[in-house]
Amino acid sequence: MRKTVSALISHIAVIFAVIIVIGTLGLIAAGVSDSGNEKFTGEIERNVTLRILENDTAKEQGYLKELLDAFNAEYAEYGITAVDANMDQYTDLETGGPYGYGPDVLYQANDALMKYVDGKHILPMPIEKLECHKYVSDKAWSAYRSTVQGQTYTFGIPVNIQQPLLYYRADLLPDDWQTNWDDDKNGIPDMIENWSDMYRYSQEIRRQSGGSKYGYMKSLNDGYFASGYFFSYGGYVFGGDDGKDTKDVGFSNGDGYKGAKIIRQLASVMNLECTEDTITRNSYSRMAQGTYFATMTTPDVYTMFVKEMVNEGYTEEYALNNIKMVDVPQLPVSGNLEDESQGFKAMTVMGGINGYAISSYTKAPNAALAFIDFATSYKMINRRCELLGISPARSDIADELGGLNETINNNLDSGTIYVMPSVRALAQVWTPLQTFCAKLADDSLTGKNAFVSDEALKKGISNVDKQIYDSIHTLGGS
Amino acid sequence: MNKTKAKVAKAKTKKILNVLITYCILIVVAFIFFFPCLWLILASFSKSGSIYSFDGFFPTEYGFDAFKSLFTDTVMYNYPKWFLNTLFIAVMSCILGTIFTILTAYCMSRFRFKSRKAMMKTTLILGMFPSFMGTIAVYLMMTQFNLINQHWGLILIYSAQAPMGYMVQKGFFDTIPYSIDEAARIDGASNFTVFVKFILPMSKPILVYTALTAFTWPWSDFILPKMLLVDKDLYTVAVGLMSLGETEFARFAAGSIFIAIPIIILYFCLVKYMINGMAAGAVKE
Amino acid sequence: MKTAQKIKSFFKDIPSKIKSIPKRLSVRFAGAKEIITQGNGKVAASMLVMGLGQLLYAQWAKGFMFFIIQIAFIVYFVLTGATDLFGFFTLGSRESNAWYGVDGDNSVVMLIMGILSILIIILYVAIYIANVKDAYRTQCAADTLKQPTKFKKELGSLLDKSFHKTALALPVVGVCVFSILPIVFMILIAFTNYGGDIVPPALVDWVGFENFGKILSLGQFAPTFFKIFGWNMLWAVLATAINYFAGLGLALLLNKKCVKGKVFWRAFPILAYAIPGFITLLGFKFMFSYGGPINYYIQQGGGEAVGFLGLDAKWTARFIGLAVNAWISIPSTMLLATGILSNINTDLYEAARVDGASAWRQFIKITLPYVLFATTPVLISQFIGNFNNFGIFYFLRGGLYVDGYFLASDTDLLINWLYNMSIDNNYYSIGAAISLVIFVITSIISLTVYVLSPSYKQEETFR
Repeated sequence: MRKTVSALISHIAVIFAVIIVIGTLGLIAAGVSDSGNEKFTGEIERNVTLRILENDTAKEQGYLKELLDAFNAEYAEYGITAVDANMDQYTDLETGGPYGYGPDVLYQANDALMKYVDGKHILPMPIEKLECHKYVSDKAWSAYRSTVQGQTYTFGIPVNIQQPLLYYRADLLPDDWQTNWDDDKNGIPDMIENWSDMYRYSQEIRRQSGGSKYGYMKSLNDGYFASGYFFSYGGYVFGGDDGKDTKDVGFSNGDGYKGAKIIRQLASVMNLECTEDTITRNSYSRMAQGTYFATMTTPDVYTMFVKEMVNEGYTEEYALNNIKMVDVPQLPVSGNLEDESQGFKAMTVMGGINGYAISSYTKAPNAALAFIDFATSYKMINRRCELLGISPARSDIADELGGLNETINNNLDSGTIYVMPSVRALAQVWTPLQTFCAKLADDSLTGKNAFVSDEALKKGISNVDKQIYDSIHTLGGS
Repeated sequence: MNKTKAKVAKAKTKKILNVLITYCILIVVAFIFFFPCLWLILASFSKSGSIYSFDGFFPTEYGFDAFKSLFTDTVMYNYPKWFLNTLFIAVMSCILGTIFTILTAYCMSRFRFKSRKAMMKTTLILGMFPSFMGTIAVYLMMTQFNLINQHWGLILIYSAQAPMGYMVQKGFFDTIPYSIDEAARIDGASNFTVFVKFILPMSKPILVYTALTAFTWPWSDFILPKMLLVDKDLYTVAVGLMSLGETEFARFAAGSIFIAIPIIILYFCLVKYMINGMAAGAVKE
Repeated sequence: MKTAQKIKSFFKDIPSKIKSIPKRLSVRFAGAKEIITQGNGKVAASMLVMGLGQLLYAQWAKGFMFFIIQIAFIVYFVLTGATDLFGFFTLGSRESNAWYGVDGDNSVVMLIMGILSILIIILYVAIYIANVKDAYRTQCAADTLKQPTKFKKELGSLLDKSFHKTALALPVVGVCVFSILPIVFMILIAFTNYGGDIVPPALVDWVGFENFGKILSLGQFAPTFFKIFGWNMLWAVLATAINYFAGLGLALLLNKKCVKGKVFWRAFPILAYAIPGFITLLGFKFMFSYGGPINYYIQQGGGEAVGFLGLDAKWTARFIGLAVNAWISIPSTMLLATGILSNINTDLYEAARVDGASAWRQFIKITLPYVLFATTPVLISQFIGNFNNFGIFYFLRGGLYVDGYFLASDTDLLINWLYNMSIDNNYYSIGAAISLVIFVITSIISLTVYVLSPSYKQEETFR
């Protein structure tokens, strides 16, 4: 008996001893701090492979291949090869990056990229070393600036400014627009200059066609596009100096309720499809069929409208000449589309800035920086604009191209583009906002008329603010 | 004489009515199940990609463009590759998963060992956990085992998780009379032989059911492959289809139809084992 | 009445069961006591180092096997096991900083690897006990002058007497690692502060019951919780009943003698089964939308467009949810029922027919009890599956908050609500705490049903 007991006890003791000794050694080893070192030494790594994550359009239109080939040829002496990361364009660096499965260089929207800053998943960059530095406006840079432990860094290189634009069929304008629909005689039809005339013209189309055709059509419940109406009258998403204070939700700020009123009025010239995402998806074919006159969406889908026109039997040239893309119309100061007495003001829209960033987990940060410098050079951005029809953040190219590109750049500077806040909590904004917008549209179309008075609208929009606040903070606690 | 004739005639009309009603119900059921699929099939033959150039359920113009682009336009969406990937994953997980599930169910049904009831209750209870966060754990574990971005990682997970659903198969084995085992054991057969030679041949229906479910799950799963596969060339069909652009509806529909085909084929191959599995007459007490 | 009594007696038994625990424990440990008092030096050797005793008895193959396992475990502990186990308690102490390439601790990975190390320790203890028992068995055999069992014969028993051990080994390991471990992980997360800003590389810590305290202090929770819970229960019961009986009915219908071309008819539901669920759901959502084909025909017919899944569509949307769920799930129930029906002993029916029982009576007396018996577990797992059916309303009616509900719509199930509140914001720990509460409620219900069900109580009925 003694033998067995002592054998058992000694076995247990030995195993315990092994675990405790090794475990404690591990703890001691963890206590030794390692200060690490600065990554951007300026010395370009040799013989490395860079995985580049670009967006799908760049890949589809062949721009990515051109970019990679040009870069690889330029840096052949270093033995650097840049390859397509071949991942989903919305790949979350946070999930795969730390374990070595992320790309080295990412091209994404500013809100997606800046989300990575919290976990230090992307590197702060020495931007002044880059060619594009002085050509990009400070407003664009500021979307990529963030303060970490008292120091301000820049984490991304702006490439492309995204804002919603108005699309319309030029061939569906009334024949007499120059006489009847151009009050200021500036050669631009009034309905694409301000929302009041767009609203009137939509009413007229519906009347003339007996309800089978529409003027302006858009899924009004889409928060990204609808938020612009609130911003234009003083609303904002989050308060604070940097627009990131999630405790202060402000769609109802100022005269935000006027935005709700506009949405409600616009719904009255549409149909119930505007309360769901149907119109977002069918606008391409409906515009091509001539059922819709105009819609609002981002500039990157221009080719889809053209494609659908061609599908409908038009020539490509005809389609290119008649699908027009312009800056969004102006809004009446009064907050009532039927009241133009107080004049008009520019509409503020939600926009974003797409750009490049470098993963913190890359083995070759200097080579990655060289790649970004190359990709944002005059030559490559120019080519990018040519192939993809984007609005460059580089003002030199925007000025050269002129037109809409210049306008968008100016919009960013003048503040009529409300840059999407780079906060994770933005995800909680959409559901309450889109439910409210759908409710507004439904209210107007089904004749429930629960949101007629300013008071009801004010109450509705404050409730949205409250819901957003709740969904961000209830579970977050304190 | 007359009376019996009338009775026979009455029974006959009753029978005809019975058959008639049965077929009516069958036609309705077939329609309900077939119609949405038919719509998907029609949509895949739509000439324009958009779902909105339809008159109700029917495309305005027909064409093979969607199928053509599905198999030829592989720069962005490499459907043929995805299809082969999915086939590989599903076949392997089907084989392994079926073996594991059947073994587990058989043991739980036939053996009385100490921890049996405890195991049964534990699996039942844990299965109830609303584990929408469990995938995080699985993902992190796979990063530690270096199995991210590899098909074998997925196969491992699918086949390892399959036995959790052993209950159905256990219920089936419970209905096979014990007398069969006993008779065989008297003849000197080991438990393994009993299982392989006697139980398995009688269990074809449930084997087929298990294999079908074990195949269908990886075949149409979206969440796990989306999480574990990074490289687009390694995608499965479900993940790939979800990444299609929103105006590519016809292509989406065509892709969806091709997903369904292997399962249909599998069904037609296996169906004969499914019905009358006991027809061999192994059980006569 | 009968079930009520059953439930009553089930709960009545609990105290006596608890009282008998010490007794049962002493019975269980009698064997261990015997080995410790009676074991000889060679058994002690096996206790000291696994396999040593067997080697001393000249059982080379088995001895080496145990010895190698012993070494493998020690190597595991030295390499990672010990640090993993410590990591489970500390959850890391050094924050990593990817900017400067500083490697740190990843708390969440440490938690998972910690759980894994605990599982491995349990496995180790089990093998150790098996090893000691085996040594003692050898001793007993040697003492009674019998030859100890040959290794070959023992291997043979793995296919016979202990076939279940062989067969279950891999599935049990697989389920432990890939099913149980993630669930344990989630349960443990409820006791940490993981989530929000505290995600790796930030360090996570144990916080005890803090999250549960937070849930209790949230006033606006309760009304929505009960509303959703009520609908959730109703949904789970209705959906399960519809799918189960419709599936069974369909299988019976197709089993009728008069149906010709069974393979053909059965192919239609299979077609529905073959299309992945998310595609079906997206398809149905479109079909019922304002711009969808159904509204197209309504409008062509001169009617007003109907918001089947719209803002005020509470019951229409719920009904559509049930119907779509049925469309998706009935085929698999049908397949299963077909398989089970094919195994019914046809003698029973013949006997019934001889007795002149009507088709309906045959169904009630033979088919239904048989099928119910074979599928109660399925019924329970379907109930649970429906209770936690995330996909249906997420796809059909996601992105909507309805008045009177706190951050939810009137079709959302608890799991959707949980998702709304926790995933977008990464509030993992509190989400886990709420799911733990839901889990306790559901598991009590279904465990009671299961324990009282015929297929658990009388597993032997159909033998």
